[in-house]
Amino acid sequence: MRILTIACSIAALMAASPLSAQTLNVATAGDQNMVDYVKDYLGPMFEKSHPGVKVVSVGTGPGDSGSQKIYEKLDAQKAGNATDFDVVVIHQKAAGTMVKEGLLAKYTDKVDTSKMVSSESAKNSLGSDVSGFVIPMFQSQTALAYNADLLKTPPNTFAELKDWAAKNPKQFGYNGIKGGMSGVAFVTGWVYAFGGDSDKLIKGPYDPAVKASWDKALGELKDFNKNVIITPGNAGTLDMLNRGEIAIGPVWVDMFYSWQADGKLPPNMKLKLAAPGMPGQPMYYAVPEKTANRKLAEEFIALATSPQVQADGIVKKFNWYPGIDAKNLEGKLDQAAWNKLFTDITPADLSSKGKSFPIAPYFNDILESYEKKVAN
Amino acid sequence: MLSQRQLALVLIAPGLFLVAALFLYPLVFSLISAFTRPDGSFTLEWFAKAYELYSGDIVFTIVIVLASCVLTAVAAIVIAGTLTLGENPWIVGTLKALYRWPLFIPFIVAAQCMRTFLAKNGLMNNTFVSLGLMEPLSAISFLDWRGIIATFVWKQTPFVALLLAGALASIDRATLEAGRNLGASRARVMLELALPQVMPTLLVALVLSFVTMLSVLSVPMMVAGSQPTMLTVDMAFRINAYGDYATANALGVITYLISAGAAIIYLKRGMNQEATS
Repeated sequence: MRILTIACSIAALMAASPLSAQTLNVATAGDQNMVDYVKDYLGPMFEKSHPGVKVVSVGTGPGDSGSQKIYEKLDAQKAGNATDFDVVVIHQKAAGTMVKEGLLAKYTDKVDTSKMVSSESAKNSLGSDVSGFVIPMFQSQTALAYNADLLKTPPNTFAELKDWAAKNPKQFGYNGIKGGMSGVAFVTGWVYAFGGDSDKLIKGPYDPAVKASWDKALGELKDFNKNVIITPGNAGTLDMLNRGEIAIGPVWVDMFYSWQADGKLPPNMKLKLAAPGMPGQPMYYAVPEKTANRKLAEEFIALATSPQVQADGIVKKFNWYPGIDAKNLEGKLDQAAWNKLFTDITPADLSSKGKSFPIAPYFNDILESYEKKVAN
Repeated sequence: MLSQRQLALVLIAPGLFLVAALFLYPLVFSLISAFTRPDGSFTLEWFAKAYELYSGDIVFTIVIVLASCVLTAVAAIVIAGTLTLGENPWIVGTLKALYRWPLFIPFIVAAQCMRTFLAKNGLMNNTFVSLGLMEPLSAISFLDWRGIIATFVWKQTPFVALLLAGALASIDRATLEAGRNLGASRARVMLELALPQVMPTLLVALVLSFVTMLSVLSVPMMVAGSQPTMLTVDMAFRINAYGDYATANALGVITYLISAGAAIIYLKRGMNQEATS
């Protein structure tokens, strides 16, 4: 009898515990710094304001492959009652697919901070309509990083860069397209610069015949590649810049600033956005359609996109551009932190030369044409 | 009561089930996906695409893995030979203590070390420069195909040497000593007397190394730039960038064929030997 009582009370405890101790699973596609951002910064803050809630941060790996894993998990659990993830942080390409396949919930009207978002990418993700389904966590941007001691006047345009690389062989380095997104961004910038109408690639509509018009640009890129170094990965480019093995190469702006702050890049490194520009991308907060903790997930995202968190966490701590409109951050951020983000790349540069990636079908065409015409 | 035969079946059932569920099922699945369109009809278009985009990488992969196997074999023979026939106890002792270390280091860690070791201004070149052996301007980067081969050879040599040294220790020393007594040099004893007797072991070790190297993703990804690169990187890219499992599986089938080639060479040799003996 006593054993039965104990067993019953344990069972009752176990049944009741989800109410008193809820778990919010946040899956993040991205580099380790993004997983840490949730685990060490956002998570504890949310737990403090929501006693009894535990935030579990899961990383699914960097780049589109990380988002692909989240997509596969949600897709596999489509038929079930609830997904394992309550909040997902995903890339643009996967966001479009997930919205189309009904894996995400329309939640932004329940979150007040969504009104502070002004960027186009919150509505349009590489050609897919995602309005209502996502709020940008941050905006990230690629640019050319260069060693100001080795290179006094950095190239202003892609055409100047092409000539410069021919005169200075093996001084430019990028990571191709299989080693991370900074190389992909450079190749995209190249196609924007030399492949014709870049607006059509960004806004659509898709026309499969367009890729034939890139042949000349990609042929030139193949020649250009003979004079450059193909680095191993996003970090590989930064490593080589750090060791003085190359003088200039494309990098992610946030990685650049973080590495510089950690002393992994010398202070004489600078950034340059060459015309016509290079792409950047946001990461999105989204809520899976079948989450069991919808309300909590919305509250988590509301906190994550609040002006104070965007100022302290996104801009100051991690050197990303804010996901909500920057004017909401006024007064929340000291001038020094703000200036640092815009030292080399001014807000004017950013608005004229910070491009989007092309819509998904063109994006795939660029990558595959590169594999066909340049790499093989 | 179960008969002996039924009992045996019951005993191997869990193992058989694991092999079927974790290996055969995915294998068949990937084979089917490589040869069919989304609607299920038979096609070779994924192979055409794999060839069109990655023919260079297929050749690159084969060359890298073969070259690594040859160099691994040479290094392993030197090490195992020294351990067996070496006469200086210091050299033999030190080598014995050191040569197995890379076995315990995962490929990804080895790749990360090589990434800074082999770079143009990396540890190796900087050491040469500071020793006065090299001019700073003549330093070159080895972070390309040479880096991949160096990492593979460094990582696989102890494995092959371990098997080879074991086999050498078990052969009849009388033949080796007879050779020495008749005035053959140690190298000659090793190559002409000892090595032929342990050839099957060497081949098994090399075939296993071949298959292992063929399947490593981290080393080509981390050590070298991506043009050209090995098939594992291409497979990962097909899936991650395009969600295209069909072409990735076609590349997988091509990898199976390459490793089957290695296995066939080995089996053929085994059969020839049986026929002659």
